[in-house]
Amino acid sequence: MIEHLGDRISALLDGELTLAESAVARSHLATCPTCQAELAATDQVRGWVRALPPVDPPTPVIPLAAAQRRRAPFAAVAAAAAAVAAVLLVQLAPQQQPVTPHVAKMVEAHATSGANTDPVGQVSPVAVPVSFQP
Amino acid sequence: MSDNEEQPPSWEEVARTYGRFLYTVAYRLTGHHDDAQDLVQEVLLRVRRGLPGYKPGSMEGWLSRITTNAFLDEVRRRKRRPADPFPDDADRVLPSSPPAEEALATRQLPDHVQSAILRLPDDFRAAVVLCDVAGLSYQEISEALDVPVGTVRSRIHRGRSLLREALA
Repeated sequence: MIEHLGDRISALLDGELTLAESAVARSHLATCPTCQAELAATDQVRGWVRALPPVDPPTPVIPLAAAQRRRAPFAAVAAAAAAVAAVLLVQLAPQQQPVTPHVAKMVEAHATSGANTDPVGQVSPVAVPVSFQP
Repeated sequence: MSDNEEQPPSWEEVARTYGRFLYTVAYRLTGHHDDAQDLVQEVLLRVRRGLPGYKPGSMEGWLSRITTNAFLDEVRRRKRRPADPFPDDADRVLPSSPPAEEALATRQLPDHVQSAILRLPDDFRAAVVLCDVAGLSYQEISEALDVPVGTVRSRIHRGRSLLREALA
């Protein structure tokens, strides 16, 4: 029973076999249609990947302060969360005494305070254009 | 070799000289420009930390190792947070209309090949990209991925077989 080449086919194509291994592999290939077909198919797909063009970055690669870029959104969210917490503290603290919350008062308080504390507005949404051109 | 030749390049020089190489490897691994840009920035941070200890040799090999490790770290991080998976790569990259069959017989559109690469398991994808995009030897890939050369050979061949099935 002939042992087929298996992953030695890729190694042969990549020049990663020793001279002796390569000679054995080629000798086997000469008489094995299965491995010949496997070699041709592997060579084809290897060529497709190797033919992929280099990819130009949309903007020049410059060492940015990546840590800052990552912290910035978190800082904005944290600031917004702090603002929400502050508003809730101010609004809810006087409401703790009555057993039943006074809905009308809460609505009124929310309406009057909401105008100048808009936590959502403090987070700048960022629309990132996505391009798939390689 | 003179002292001057042994001096490691600066952070900015690496970005300027190898920016396109880095970006290409990052894009082939991630499949998206925004992910590739984030990955390149992470790589440059690691490069800055590692430059003082860099020994003159294959800069591409060294950068590929850092890029792949940063990529695999990110993959592991996202797997720990299932709510934040990689975007559905294939759907975003796959072109809407496939090319004619006769064209497939001899060549593949880059978008189709990239899409198939993104569908590979991460370890196979890394091995194939390091071999066929970055142009590293099996020994260099073995060092980059910290696995035996035999494992590299197996992953590359298995990865190519999967690509062949995906592109058939």
